[in-house]
Amino acid sequence: MAATEGDQFLKQATGPKTRGLLRVIILVLIAGAAVSSRLFSVIRFESIIHEFDPWFNFRATKYLVANGFYDFWDWFDDRTWHPLGRVTGGTLYPGLMVTSGVIYHFLRFLTLPVDIRNICVLLAPAFSGLTAFATYLLTNEMVSSPSAGLLAAAFMGITPGYISRSVAGSYDNEAIAIFLLVFTFFLWIKAVKLGSMFWGALTALFYGYMVSAWGGYVFITNLLPLHAFVLICMGRYSPRLYVSYTSWYALGTLASMQIPFVGFLPIRSSEHMSALGVFGLIQLVAFVEFVRAQLPSKQFQTLLRALVVLIFVVAVGGLVLLTVGGVIAPWTGRFYSLWDTGYAKIHIPIIASVSEHQPTAWPAFFFDLNLMIFLFPAGVYMCFRTLTDEQVFIVIYSVLASYFAGVMVRLMLTLTPIVCVAAAMAFSQILDTYLDAKTPKVDAKTAENGSSEPAKVAAAAVLSDGLRSTRNPLVGIYSYASRVTVVGFSAIYLLIFVLHCTWVTSNAYSSPSVVLASRLPDGSQHIIDDYREAYYWLRQNTPENAKIMSWWDYGYQIGGMADRPTLVDNNTWNNTHIATVGKAMSSKEEVSYPIMRQHEVDYVLVVFGGLLGYSGDDINKFLWMVRIAEGIWPEEVKERSFFTPRGEYRVDEGATDTMKNSLMYKMSYYNYNSLFPAGQAQDRVRNVRLPSEGPQLNVIDEAFTSENWIIRIYKVKDLDNFGRDHHSAVSFDKGHKKKRAAKRKGPKVLRVE
Amino acid sequence: MRWLQLLTASVLPFAALAAKKPSGDRFKDFRAKALSSGSLKLDDSSHAQLTKAPRDYSVAVLLTALETRFGCQLCREFQPEWDLLAKSWMKGDKNGDSRLLFGTLDFVDGKNTFQSLMLQTAPVLYFFPPTVGPGAKPDAQAIRYDFTSGPQSAETIHSWVARHLPADAPKPAVSRPINWVKIISVTTAVLGVITFFAVAAPYLIPILQNRNLWAAFSLIAILLFTSGHMFNHIRKTPYVSGDGKGGLSYFAGGFSNQFGLESQIVAAMYGVLAFAAISLAMKVPRIADPKAQQFAVILWSGVLFVMYSFLLSVFRIKNGGYPFWLPPF
Repeated sequence: MAATEGDQFLKQATGPKTRGLLRVIILVLIAGAAVSSRLFSVIRFESIIHEFDPWFNFRATKYLVANGFYDFWDWFDDRTWHPLGRVTGGTLYPGLMVTSGVIYHFLRFLTLPVDIRNICVLLAPAFSGLTAFATYLLTNEMVSSPSAGLLAAAFMGITPGYISRSVAGSYDNEAIAIFLLVFTFFLWIKAVKLGSMFWGALTALFYGYMVSAWGGYVFITNLLPLHAFVLICMGRYSPRLYVSYTSWYALGTLASMQIPFVGFLPIRSSEHMSALGVFGLIQLVAFVEFVRAQLPSKQFQTLLRALVVLIFVVAVGGLVLLTVGGVIAPWTGRFYSLWDTGYAKIHIPIIASVSEHQPTAWPAFFFDLNLMIFLFPAGVYMCFRTLTDEQVFIVIYSVLASYFAGVMVRLMLTLTPIVCVAAAMAFSQILDTYLDAKTPKVDAKTAENGSSEPAKVAAAAVLSDGLRSTRNPLVGIYSYASRVTVVGFSAIYLLIFVLHCTWVTSNAYSSPSVVLASRLPDGSQHIIDDYREAYYWLRQNTPENAKIMSWWDYGYQIGGMADRPTLVDNNTWNNTHIATVGKAMSSKEEVSYPIMRQHEVDYVLVVFGGLLGYSGDDINKFLWMVRIAEGIWPEEVKERSFFTPRGEYRVDEGATDTMKNSLMYKMSYYNYNSLFPAGQAQDRVRNVRLPSEGPQLNVIDEAFTSENWIIRIYKVKDLDNFGRDHHSAVSFDKGHKKKRAAKRKGPKVLRVE
Repeated sequence: MRWLQLLTASVLPFAALAAKKPSGDRFKDFRAKALSSGSLKLDDSSHAQLTKAPRDYSVAVLLTALETRFGCQLCREFQPEWDLLAKSWMKGDKNGDSRLLFGTLDFVDGKNTFQSLMLQTAPVLYFFPPTVGPGAKPDAQAIRYDFTSGPQSAETIHSWVARHLPADAPKPAVSRPINWVKIISVTTAVLGVITFFAVAAPYLIPILQNRNLWAAFSLIAILLFTSGHMFNHIRKTPYVSGDGKGGLSYFAGGFSNQFGLESQIVAAMYGVLAFAAISLAMKVPRIADPKAQQFAVILWSGVLFVMYSFLLSVFRIKNGGYPFWLPPF
């Protein structure tokens, strides 16, 4: 930040070359800061892939590097979604893996043998440096002040809203997608400004890259047409807009259709129809403009205008008809739930169950954006001053992205770039004004006025004229006291911003969630490594084709770390299959066992946090399993029966019988009371005392429990050798005498006949 | 011992025969009553009569509390859907082939039934399967439907009821009457708006093209969304809540939790802060008088500083471990 201010001071004294050099140095420093602030987790823990989805991306990258591009493209994965398998090559966004693959081969070519894991871990920080640069370019297109761009780049580099998805090890699609998003917008603005086919084609190229990298490309697909549409409505149609939009749309659509997962969606699904519609509209408008230039007759113009409106209405009507008729796919659930916010909760519990799909409360905004959150509206307001074509873009983007970020926590990511740009515009405006060393000359007349009636003038200054703030001519700042005040405060705010970002990154966003950290009483760090312990146990102690059943959250990790086939994973493409697992978990053993046999399950894995107080465990997720299973088998699984008559979700003595008999409950608490003195078993997540007698298991055996009991693995028993059911086999082994059915007939009576 | 069992067993068919005769009438009687209204309005005695043990038909009874003094919002919201379902079922099933009756028991008329079923909440929907005849279930327990996930539409209840009927029974679909009033009013409104625009276009277009208006609109939208308005909308958070000591608690505890009023306060704070920033950046350098300018700078810087400090203090309420603060608060 100090460097940015330094740039301002030097501006008067130095030539353009020095300034250019300074700018490059500053950008490099910003990129350095961006990368290094993302390395907390690597330094604290180790170079490891985080969370859930990245494990799949990592596995896919390894496959790509090992088998080559064409095998990767046609990859059918039989080790997930057992027994269905998954057409992985056709159902993923390959951009991320291909990028790392290219970097890997490039480094090999330079004879730098870097492990593919390190490339994957460090890809997100590396791209964050590029994002900062792209933000700089985008901001420079928006305002004339050169400092705004540098400030925006610095904001973008360290803002927690972006760091949350791009720390080292967070090897997810967003890692490269945000860079592509910002850069595509920059190219688009450039294209609109210049009306150049070259820049339009570049936009299309990067748009294609974006499509290959992240499902969020739909945001671009709708934002660019909206921008064009608003410009047309404002009467700002120009040949520049025509050239840039048509070249982007034609080439970009072709590019996006090259991705197998996208395929023909751009012409067949509702999400993409706005782009097509605006493409049609802009042809009409262009035609009308052309004719109008030739024929100045006024009536003709009216006629043409009516024609345009008519054709537009007919076209929209046609689209609606096609949608109703089923030619064009209706909006996908995930996308639709953005508008109808109650939709997902009723119809797609699996979407509603994901925590990053929840709405955003205000602390999350402040947490992720700090002071930018209130500079953001100020920056947007400044766009209204001149309101050039590109500033219209900022306004549209701001309003839309704030809506989306409010509906879904995850979309904070798309809001962050524009917040950085707008906030930097506001902040640099302040800094530029108050760092300008020139003092304006006091106009004698106004000065006299001011001195004669100071109260009145002061009142006029306070009661400002609302939105018409720029009516008077620009004067400048008179006193040094004003300058020192404002610049001093600004420096304090920026300092707090940097501290805030570092604190948030270090505390909230740098945990790999595969490895947990806690503090011992003496303050030293204690690493809890149960996940990897359990996954390596699976890798080393089970046959290579042992099928593991777990809730879908852990599917990718099991595939990536344990290298064992799973039933369901985070891809969630088959709701019924997930519901099957949910049913097996939430039913009685006698019901679950046939399901597990049918799916050839060898091991069942559950996550249990009761001993450690780890709240993200399966008992807390259990209701979602029940709900998803209930969606398919409403007769057999009922959410109601997991609640006590008073409507409580309990795991202690007062839990319902359905709860106590469910496989999940039994697996979680099996043998747990043996850790405690009799009757003292305590669940530290839900803070309840457990029943003195623990649950009994018949159809599965405990196989492994990790150090802190976070992961528990059970082996599914084979069929009994004597053909008994497991319950009686277990009770026989325990030495219980088999109860004879004859006993039921009542006391023996003397036969009288 | 054995002969006693034998005797009972031999008597059973007669008992069943004896019971069957009036029960056939019962269905017809109740059905005749239901034909006009759709669902039967029950009280304690008729409820007992309707659901008496040997029955060769099924009954769906909604136990509800419609009167305002019970304050059951859910009951009142669901009632029209329930009536619609009963009515369209009765209409679609003219011969009574499905052998299903709909009944409504209000708490006012059926206090004893509520007590005997030990119901604490309303509405509750019971489905009584037939105990004899085709489609009889061995356990013949009433099946209970709880409205745990809010008010339901007639279609959801229809599918729930249909699940419990035998597969071959007719299940007439819910037919919603065409809402003529709504169609006409919407058409009139749309035409009215179009006419209004056509007539008032010369006056409206300058307003529509007013930059200040659009600026205000965009800024308000942004402030609303970034202060968590959508969260209130989706989660239906309370507007404000008491602190247990008779006062008001303006800020909800916890990071992902908020009140309606709280988000408005935050939006106002953001608004003030943004306005101060705008004033410093754009208005102050346009003030021609040095003293007034000096005054404005100090004023707006002060507002910005104090407000930001307050915002940080509010944020510390939400996030306990947050270490940063500024002097006044």
